[in-house]
Amino acid sequence: MKRVLLVNWEKCIGCRTCEMICSLLNEERCNPTEARITVIKFEEKGADFPVYCQNCEAPACEAICPAKAIYKDDITEAVLVDIRRCIGCRMCILACPIGGLSFHPARKEIIKCDLCKGDPACVKYCPEGALEVVSLDTIGVKRRRENIRKFSSYLDMMTGGKE
Amino acid sequence: MNGYSGKILFIDLSENQTSTIETSLYSREYLGGRGIGVKLLYDMVRPKQDPLGPENILVFMTGPLTGTLTPSSGRVDIVTTSPESNLLGGSNAGGFWGPELKWAGYDGVVIKGKAKNPVYIQIYNDEVKIKDAQKLWGKDVFETVKILRQGNEENQVACIGPAGENKSNLSGIAFNFRNYAARAGVGAVMGAKNLKAIAVRGTKGSDIYDTKALQEICLEIQNREKMMPLYKDAPSWHWKLFQSLEEDGKAFFGNYESFLWEDRIKAVQNVKEFIQQNHLKPESCLTCPLRCWAHFSIRGEEGAPIIACQGTWPSIAYFMKLSDPYYIWRIYTLCQKLGLDVGGTSAVMALAADLYEMGVISFKDTKGILFELGNGKAFAEAIEKLAKREDFGDILAEGIKKAVQKIGRGAERYAVHSKGGTELWLMEVRPFKGAALTCAVTDSGSCNRATYAFPDFYYRSMQKQAKMVAKNIVGKEDAADPTRYDYKPKMVLFYENMHIFADSLGVCAIPFQPVGLELWSRSFSACTGIKLQLKDLMLTVERIRTLERLFNLREGLKREDDTLSQRLFKEAIKEGPWKGEVLDREKFEAMKDEYYFLRGWDNDGRPTEKTLENLGLK
Repeated sequence: MKRVLLVNWEKCIGCRTCEMICSLLNEERCNPTEARITVIKFEEKGADFPVYCQNCEAPACEAICPAKAIYKDDITEAVLVDIRRCIGCRMCILACPIGGLSFHPARKEIIKCDLCKGDPACVKYCPEGALEVVSLDTIGVKRRRENIRKFSSYLDMMTGGKE
Repeated sequence: MNGYSGKILFIDLSENQTSTIETSLYSREYLGGRGIGVKLLYDMVRPKQDPLGPENILVFMTGPLTGTLTPSSGRVDIVTTSPESNLLGGSNAGGFWGPELKWAGYDGVVIKGKAKNPVYIQIYNDEVKIKDAQKLWGKDVFETVKILRQGNEENQVACIGPAGENKSNLSGIAFNFRNYAARAGVGAVMGAKNLKAIAVRGTKGSDIYDTKALQEICLEIQNREKMMPLYKDAPSWHWKLFQSLEEDGKAFFGNYESFLWEDRIKAVQNVKEFIQQNHLKPESCLTCPLRCWAHFSIRGEEGAPIIACQGTWPSIAYFMKLSDPYYIWRIYTLCQKLGLDVGGTSAVMALAADLYEMGVISFKDTKGILFELGNGKAFAEAIEKLAKREDFGDILAEGIKKAVQKIGRGAERYAVHSKGGTELWLMEVRPFKGAALTCAVTDSGSCNRATYAFPDFYYRSMQKQAKMVAKNIVGKEDAADPTRYDYKPKMVLFYENMHIFADSLGVCAIPFQPVGLELWSRSFSACTGIKLQLKDLMLTVERIRTLERLFNLREGLKREDDTLSQRLFKEAIKEGPWKGEVLDREKFEAMKDEYYFLRGWDNDGRPTEKTLENLGLK
């Protein structure tokens, strides 16, 4: 079953450890600019959103790529870029609805999350467990369960007991 | 240069010029952060310059671990000559500004001279621009950060508020909307240079020597941090800290005269409810699992973001005897916005209330402000005036020691401060002999920079653990007893050294000691490729500490200046768990003797020839 990276942004404490481990692993350097994941912080509102490639089922980047450089990995089903084919037009960055891809400023190449071949390091290093690898058949119920917990006080009221 | 960026940026505001030097000139002997900061200050500033004059420099220095995967590595150290104490002034902040500076290619920024008109600095990798800031002058911290991020949202902003512009000795430097290098009047130094802000954007990153080793070490450090008792409590520490201060007998109320304030339990309860009702989510600094910050779901005035630091609320509540959480929160926001040190400002407010009650100052002096403990509205008004240096606020803005000198009329008798006039932090020191010694001998006169995890501090609530820790450090369980004078110099030395390490490596002092030296030095080696023996590290720390001493001696510091305000030696605690405790002058001086000896300084507190030779400082 395909496994994807899922974020529970309410758990994110905005520490950016994911950016550090991602760039260290992929670029041997600690540099957010070269990371495949970025925590977008809304400091005035108190919200942090780790943003990365969602590895879509019908990737807009794949559809728009004029060089046919974007393809899916046979095993992990991650969306990957064949750098040998890539012409560096950055159309994929324009097309992506979430900002999953970025451009390496020095190497002048598209960089994006490849799910670390199925075992993402950001998941391991996230101190809050805000990032998870989830199998596609449980992703829906997982979110539903997490979200419905917000109403647990209502549940307590109705059932007279704590979860 | 792995770990380090390799360059230090110099900006001369008088000449409108920038230049860089190699970090390697200093890093071998002074490590980074606080160490290099002190060295630059010692070399670049001639003796006895006006801290608010163009001669003084303001150093922002990161360490070799700042901005790496190393947990809790969001720190930047600020070093300058303090306008409050006229001695070395150091302060330190977390967040993301230091890392961004590192990623822009600089280990530090040194500000020299004074701009003719208000300016701000924009750093974007190799591009450094000094820009006009006349439109920013007068704006508060929140507005300034917002403006400097318009169209440039990835900017990390260090700035001062009106308090820094008006050169209040209680002003700090803010980093984005929350972190502060709050102490020693560093904001006033920035204001005196006509420098409103430094906005940084960096895309170069930090190079790492051994990426594999660093990955392993960082997981170990993270796990170690998660085993700290504080880890579990951190998100609720904002109110639990009140409880802990109470349990350990550190809490005092008002201007250090009351220990059994009848509303103290109510205050904790109110704050707890307020926080629980409004707590949105916890937040951390770069790579830190500790989540010391709390976002609140309430908005401040003018929609200001509310994100609270846990150490500051008790100072507001205790000093000003405020049990209404609305005012605690409001005064906290006010200080963050105006660019004030919350702890120092609260202490000054408590002093003013004491002076008012004792009739030393009157309604006429305060221009109608009723300085009265518990009166949050009056304090909020007074703090606005302090930041603007209006009316009586002009005197209070000097900080405790200089303020009582200006007031005269015997006001000095009521003042409580540490060396050089720096306000103490939110705890009573009379029963805690080690903390008292720290406040007297340390570099910048505030124990914030030297003690965090002293076993004395939790002796009452966790005696067994405190004794164990004391035994590990000085080989004697009894050393943990706060009221004992013996063994304390050794303990002070240990914690000072730990703090210097943390501040120089660029990591946070809070988890530093619990994680342990070994892991941090392994992380240092993985980042930089430099193998350091523990012995060499100790020598480096001794060198930094002794250079700090040499700086202060050059500014005219004498043995008798290594002290706290007279009141702490004369007036015993009247009530509560430490009733009768006072500092004994003779025993205190004996502690100093031993401390100097352990540091290799003579009886006047001057480093001996031999020490200077050993440390390569001759």
